[in-house]
Amino acid sequence: MSNKSKKASTGVKKRGVLETLWRYRVLELMCLPAIVFFFMFSYMPMPGIWVAFVKYNYRKGIFGSKFVGLQNFEFLAESGKLFSLTRNTVLYNLAFIILGNLVAVIIAILLNEIRAKMFKKVSQTLMFLPYFISQVLVGLLVYSLLNYDTGFVNEILVALGKAKWQPYSDPSVWPWLIVLIHLWQQTGYNSVVYFAAICGIDAEIIEAAKVDGANAFQRIRYIILPSLRPTIVILILFALGGIVRGNFGLFWNIIGSNSVLYETTDIIETFVYRATMSDFNFSTASAVGFYQSLVGFAIVMLANFAVKKIDPDYSLF
Amino acid sequence: MKKKLLATLLSVSMVMGLAACGSSTADSTTTGADTTGAQTQSADTAKTDTSAGADAAAIDTSEHVVISYMTTGDPPESGSEKEANLNAMLDELNAILTEKVNAELEIYYIPWTDYLSNYNLTLARMDGSVDLVGTASDWLDAWPNAKNGAFLELSEEMLQTYAPQTWASVPADHWELCKYDGDIYLMPEDNYAQWTNHGWIYRLDWAKEAGLSNGVHSWEDMTTYVKWCKENKTDLKYVWDSDGTQYAQMANGWIASHTNFVPIDGICSGALWGGSKDDLYTITTPALTETESLVEYAKLMKEWAEAGVWPTDVLNNTSGSNRDEFRVGDVAVEQHHTQTWTDLCSATPANTIFQDDPDAEVGMFYFGEETGNVIALSITHGAMAVSAGSDNPERALMVYDLIRNDPECYKLFNYGIQGVSWDLDANGLRTTPEGYNSETQNINGMTNYWWGRNDDLEIKDSTRNWDAIDKLYAEYDKIKIDYPYGQFVPDVDSIQGKIDNCNEQYTNYMKQISYGLYNGSAEDIVAEMQAALKTAGIEDVTAELQSQFDALYK
Repeated sequence: MSNKSKKASTGVKKRGVLETLWRYRVLELMCLPAIVFFFMFSYMPMPGIWVAFVKYNYRKGIFGSKFVGLQNFEFLAESGKLFSLTRNTVLYNLAFIILGNLVAVIIAILLNEIRAKMFKKVSQTLMFLPYFISQVLVGLLVYSLLNYDTGFVNEILVALGKAKWQPYSDPSVWPWLIVLIHLWQQTGYNSVVYFAAICGIDAEIIEAAKVDGANAFQRIRYIILPSLRPTIVILILFALGGIVRGNFGLFWNIIGSNSVLYETTDIIETFVYRATMSDFNFSTASAVGFYQSLVGFAIVMLANFAVKKIDPDYSLF
Repeated sequence: MKKKLLATLLSVSMVMGLAACGSSTADSTTTGADTTGAQTQSADTAKTDTSAGADAAAIDTSEHVVISYMTTGDPPESGSEKEANLNAMLDELNAILTEKVNAELEIYYIPWTDYLSNYNLTLARMDGSVDLVGTASDWLDAWPNAKNGAFLELSEEMLQTYAPQTWASVPADHWELCKYDGDIYLMPEDNYAQWTNHGWIYRLDWAKEAGLSNGVHSWEDMTTYVKWCKENKTDLKYVWDSDGTQYAQMANGWIASHTNFVPIDGICSGALWGGSKDDLYTITTPALTETESLVEYAKLMKEWAEAGVWPTDVLNNTSGSNRDEFRVGDVAVEQHHTQTWTDLCSATPANTIFQDDPDAEVGMFYFGEETGNVIALSITHGAMAVSAGSDNPERALMVYDLIRNDPECYKLFNYGIQGVSWDLDANGLRTTPEGYNSETQNINGMTNYWWGRNDDLEIKDSTRNWDAIDKLYAEYDKIKIDYPYGQFVPDVDSIQGKIDNCNEQYTNYMKQISYGLYNGSAEDIVAEMQAALKTAGIEDVTAELQSQFDALYK
């Protein structure tokens, strides 16, 4: 310690790494939990990606197993479904990202405009609750609502003298239904972030706008939305990284093994799960995960690059 | 400066990551050495075992160990009466085991929900949490796990020393069928008569009412039966409350009933590849070749679906419990194997249809009846293996030898405590004592010991309908052929991706075909399936399997 302080006193220009570390020690200490977390759970397991390139043997371990090159990657290409799977995954995620953020922003703004405190809290809680329901239960709820023989919706249709609806045999309705279910489940949670961002806007600006005679819509258009822009951009950039990663729990529990619906509902995760369950192949599954990570990484880099070109302030790095 | 800082942090993390991994690899190697790991090490152990074999009495059992036995099945609820009864039996059994081999047994359950993935995951952990592993070459991935290194190679010396009775009771040609690459991995259940060929289980009394005085003996009869039930038994929940998972068995059943196809077990769930009875060693794929028959099948199943035999959204009907509904008369059909039928056709306390209706009879139409195409069970349909992660493989073998061959241990483990869970009647048959409650005292339904049952020690269950069962068994014995491919453990590494893709395609189309859920014509859906199978590489797989067949059999 004394060594470093001596160095600091000798020259200000040539600061060593250790010195820099020492200088920002308080900030680093505050960062430490996050650093430890990411180190433990993101960096330490990283060499394990090697499993995607071997024929994994339990006893020989990841690094002792036979190297097979890209053989584990062939499986996805050979399926002949890579295109339709990637398409479904990406389109669903786009819908989730765009609609999800749009609705969340709208809800956050509406919540912000509500003056009755009680109503505001109650409605926020109610919207938040579905987030805590397990996907398994969501799957059962959807089945109980929609199934043909005893479903709630069909009971009502029959009572009204209408013909029954058969969604579980009709692939075309599921993109709508799944996006709807996703929004129902996630919007409450997502809107909290935006709501917090709105609360963080300097009250003086809004007060000033009010004094200047801006109505509620003008305040939203000219103050709140522009202030939310960085948050929106960052959240979307983060979400884009996972654009080739599907929400396995949601799709598996709602669609399950109903192959009639796969045309519009099969995503990479569900396909890989079904196809590799039969031989329990860690290596193939890791290869697919690696492929998804690479594509996700490329998309984040591209998006970040694009954002940087448009407005450097909003880019992640 | 910032960049430098980041670079340092990253490189430090990389180095530490590598170091961490290095140590974990070292760990796994040591574990391997402990429990007979790689090929070279197994040779060493074999030597030690030989010396031990020379002096069997000198086996060191001074340390008391707990052997964990892994089986599929739902555990009794913790704290329930059921669990207390199981523990009472285990206490008695463990007293014997402690006395004889200074070990005790505990049961490690793999619940039925997603059992295959949990089963494989547990094996992959290799942390010594399980010792004895109940396995099967056709329904529990015995061979893939052996290849992945999950099971311990059992040397002849080890078996002779630690499981001498088992070693002596299994003939040499049966041990041959338990080998992969020259090493024994499985101890087969080869002395237990059972039939697990699938078929339709139905109400024979209702079939007679429907005009099938002789019962159901073909798919056409079955069609008559289900339609009659739909029209006349209106208080049923469904004719068949299927949960949408029987598509493959139905399709296999149709093919067995219309061809001489003999499927190869254990390649994939769909039974896509096999030989035929007249030409066992030429690989055929009925999914591609039996187009006309499959179209007929697709049409017939559409007919069943339109008649409303099963729930409309059958593929999402995960909550069905058809078998229990069959027991109480809420449904008219169950699709499963003969062993299940032996239970359902018997007037046991659980099967209340027989109490409610004195005329009730349960029949079985087995797949392949029309063509006489029935294949006897492979002896590795049930087998015991030892986990390669086990800390006490020797003691595990000793415990297995006792529960498989020792009459006292066998009866305790399979039936429970005599006088509580079972008893002998005047004819020497097994009955249930007074006050017996099948819900809580059925030990057999809790130990799930399907990996080494032994007909020398079995006591026939007096509640079973032996007249009907023996009659059907005799019929099977007349037409059966032995499973011909017991020794064929294909090396599928290079074609695994294609097999997975073929199975996936076949499964997806068969769900639609078997449950009549496809849109468009039957011809179209079958053609579409065949095209998809070809894209997935079914012909490459056939060629590869054929070349391995030729190498083995020709």
